[in-house]
Amino acid sequence: MTPVQDDFEPKIVAFLCKWCSSAGSDLAGVSRLQYPPNAVPIQVMCSGSVSPLYIMSAFKKGADGVLVSGCHPGDCHYMKGNYFARRRLFLVQKLLNFVGLEKDRFRMSWVSAAEGAKFAEVVGDFVRDIKALGPQRRLKARR
Amino acid sequence: MVEIEELRACAAKLLDEGKVKAVIGYRRGSAGLLAEPCVIDQPADTESLIWDPGCVHNLALYLVKDKKAQAASKTPDKRPLAVVAKGCDSRAVAVLLQENFFKREDVVVIGVSCEGTGVVDARKLAAKLKGRTASQVEFDGADGFKVTIGNTESRVPASEILADRCLECRAPSPVLNDVLFGTAVEQRELAMPFTAVKAAEAASEEERWASWEHHFDRCLRCFACRSVCPMCYCPECVVDSTSFVITAETSAEDKANRVRWCERSAGSGESALYHLTRAMHLAGRCVDCGECERVCPVNIPLRLLNTKLEMEAFEMFEYQAGRDVSQASLLSSFRDEDPNSFVR
Repeated sequence: MTPVQDDFEPKIVAFLCKWCSSAGSDLAGVSRLQYPPNAVPIQVMCSGSVSPLYIMSAFKKGADGVLVSGCHPGDCHYMKGNYFARRRLFLVQKLLNFVGLEKDRFRMSWVSAAEGAKFAEVVGDFVRDIKALGPQRRLKARR
Repeated sequence: MVEIEELRACAAKLLDEGKVKAVIGYRRGSAGLLAEPCVIDQPADTESLIWDPGCVHNLALYLVKDKKAQAASKTPDKRPLAVVAKGCDSRAVAVLLQENFFKREDVVVIGVSCEGTGVVDARKLAAKLKGRTASQVEFDGADGFKVTIGNTESRVPASEILADRCLECRAPSPVLNDVLFGTAVEQRELAMPFTAVKAAEAASEEERWASWEHHFDRCLRCFACRSVCPMCYCPECVVDSTSFVITAETSAEDKANRVRWCERSAGSGESALYHLTRAMHLAGRCVDCGECERVCPVNIPLRLLNTKLEMEAFEMFEYQAGRDVSQASLLSSFRDEDPNSFVR
């Protein structure tokens, strides 16, 4: 276990679906909610379009955590994209943990366009948990 | 027992009647006890077909290769192929049919039942023989193998040298078949399914990573696992963009900006990306034929990654790859009651 550095600011890659979670993060912004600036948002058209490869690649390039966020079940703009995402990313999460990546480094959430406060909370919790874990070195490519 | 004479006669008949262009089966190899895959297109040559515990290969791979060759050929031979298939191989054919890779009428499955045993694990056998080399392994009764070393023969209980996947196998006789040799066996109790995965899971996170880092570090990225897998049929693999053609007009910028998911540099990070991505691509498709693990030159337990996902698919989604040709594939279907508690 790596010792926790006080000045460690985790890098989080957040894949946000265009229709709900991106709008949710916007709402958090325009509502002037304070939440940690560690998440780098990447807008995707649907959480179902997030390939497991994006997640592995983010970890390989040194992300300390990966967040995938989409619409609540039943609310998907494309009807069922988030159901596919849920099944696929459930397996990704199990697989990453199986090879020994800490469980808290990958997270999935449902954030609707109206849930700015929830988005701030999800990111806040995620950053707090990852700060406790320290930098991600396991899947990061050495250079 | 599989009557090999009957199997040969069946193969010869198929060829004689012109129903298939060739029979893909096993013949005696020139290197030790493992059989050799062979393509037979003359009825007289069917005499060389064999069936013994050395028939480890998954011959569904050659159906995939044939289909690819047909796609590349200007004058493809579209007649069907016959294939000798064990339980796991027939599941592979079923998954390929489910994915519409080829049609049902393009393949004749000559099923062989493993009955109470299965195929031999050459590494386990080598360890057991302590340096001596076996020249042949044959079935001996319902739960034993006859191992020939030089001129001496000895009987070994099958469970000692069976491949791990055979010990954990749930469907030892081919579910999908046009003709079946040997008795169909539904269930048998050699080891519980997923024994190896559950043992690996019992270790702590740190221990698991320590062992996987060791494995990923050793990976040569020779891609033998990918070459031998009947499910890895993508024309272009995500880890090597071979379709990126560099011509005189390709600018340095294009070359620099092309997407490279996996760098060529050695290291556990790049290898981990390859193996994890491959495992995800095989989720709900891997039939646990164990070929990737067998061909690995550095003994990476690749089967664990695939069976881990197979276990999750079975336990959470009640999905078994290759059980039914008409079922919706694991990742293209969902249920409302899929696990949701891991999502915030």
